[in-house]
Amino acid sequence: MEEQLEPNEMIIHLGPQHPMQPGPFRLNLRLKGETVVDADIELGFIHKGIEKILENKTYLQGITIVDRICYLVALVNEECFVGCTEKLLGIEPPERSQYIRVILDELTRIQSHLLGMGEFGEFIGFVSMFMYTIREREEVLSLIDMITGARVTHSYLKFGGVRDDLPDGFKEKAIPVLNNLKKSVGDFEEMFHTDRIFRERTVGVGVLTADVAKNLGVSGPVLRATGVPFDIRKNEPYLIYKDLDFRVCTETAGDCFARVQVRLNEIRESIYILEQCLDQLPSGPLFPENTYYGRRTPVMRVPAGEVFHRVEDPRGEMGMYMISDGSDKPYRVKIRGPHYPTLQALPPLIIGTTVADVAAISGSMDGCTSEADR
Amino acid sequence: MDVTEILKSLTDTFPEVISEATAESEIRTRAYVDRKKAKEVCQYLKDSLQFDHLCSVCGVDYIKRNEFEVVYHIASYDHPVVLALKAKLPRENPQIESIVSVYWNANWYERETYELFGIIFKNHPNLKPLILPEDMLGEWPLRKDYKGFPNKTARNLV
Repeated sequence: MEEQLEPNEMIIHLGPQHPMQPGPFRLNLRLKGETVVDADIELGFIHKGIEKILENKTYLQGITIVDRICYLVALVNEECFVGCTEKLLGIEPPERSQYIRVILDELTRIQSHLLGMGEFGEFIGFVSMFMYTIREREEVLSLIDMITGARVTHSYLKFGGVRDDLPDGFKEKAIPVLNNLKKSVGDFEEMFHTDRIFRERTVGVGVLTADVAKNLGVSGPVLRATGVPFDIRKNEPYLIYKDLDFRVCTETAGDCFARVQVRLNEIRESIYILEQCLDQLPSGPLFPENTYYGRRTPVMRVPAGEVFHRVEDPRGEMGMYMISDGSDKPYRVKIRGPHYPTLQALPPLIIGTTVADVAAISGSMDGCTSEADR
Repeated sequence: MDVTEILKSLTDTFPEVISEATAESEIRTRAYVDRKKAKEVCQYLKDSLQFDHLCSVCGVDYIKRNEFEVVYHIASYDHPVVLALKAKLPRENPQIESIVSVYWNANWYERETYELFGIIFKNHPNLKPLILPEDMLGEWPLRKDYKGFPNKTARNLV
């Protein structure tokens, strides 16, 4: 980058540690005045080698490891890993377990979107937004805490089911939280729509069109904000999503404002899904009957084979490619995180914008470097 | 578009390139591809069969068979079928043509596969390490005969 530097150009490194970043990565910006001429990303500051670690752990230990891919969406990562293994084992969890898993997935989606919106507000100088959303997120985390006993890394899913049943009185505790949240989401929306500074910082900034977004390979709210209704929960339903009623939230503008709007609408849809689940929750066993699953199994061998399983992460398409050679450890696990292609698409998006907009565009992606590095 | 239609179109167009094409279920299918023609097959998939979304590119080390596999998971924004396209590479001097000109987001996946397995992607625009430190280049940590895990890795980073 340095060699072709012209007299009125300079290079600025954003990161590896910078307040506008969701995790450590380095953004090298070549500037001409205030305009970004060239951009380049360096990764690897929190590379954990999770794919290698998983090859050296049994499947049961692997559940604990995949929690750490991204601490915000630990339950969705678990869902993907456990779903892969269940497909190889040829089992399916009973209906009650599936409902509990969907409840947890949607609670995870709500808290991740709330934190993402708060951080985005903070990046563009709307710091009180972070206070508002983190307060609501705390209530949602308490609900997850009630079920799993942990706030961030849970290790709650098990092959063929879930570790524990829902606690007594969960529905009675959850309904007021959800009702409160509905009101807050309306407040946030009103705040975003009426704040002139927020609108000027986001409307028309970082615009992606549907064709460009597809070509860049992005997914999740960033893609849905361009009008493409791509959602794994609809396209390729897993668990009981095919029985539930919800819509895929899309916007057409494709700018930072539309991405925030998609997240707001998705929180509403998640609340709607949660209400359905709490109403319809069937009774029954947590693990398939007449099997060993759910009891203490020190060594579990998985039949040889390979599987590619996708779930809808709050940030997009999460996939895992798992190969088993018939032993008690996976032969190879490839983790395809949703933020990896989105982060890769950041340089083409910020070239030609001003430095001030870099934080807005990067923040509206709702990133997680931990998951891109693994 | 369903699985049998896709497989038929693929095997009819590339009869000598595609082998062992099998449908695992209604939405999952896999096929082996000759490594010299992987890019052409990807181009055909993107242009003619609506496979416009590259999920991932990864390497697998089959040390007992003395070969690598590069696995392309190619999906679509329109239909739910995911095709696992695999290319076999010898363990000595593994090389394959890069598909960055077909799928833009293959760039980082191929860089990652290069630094973890030592698989060279020819005509890649920027083939250098992505997530590993530069002084680990040449150790190929995800190969099955890598002895440095976890001690050597930890020592390098301290």
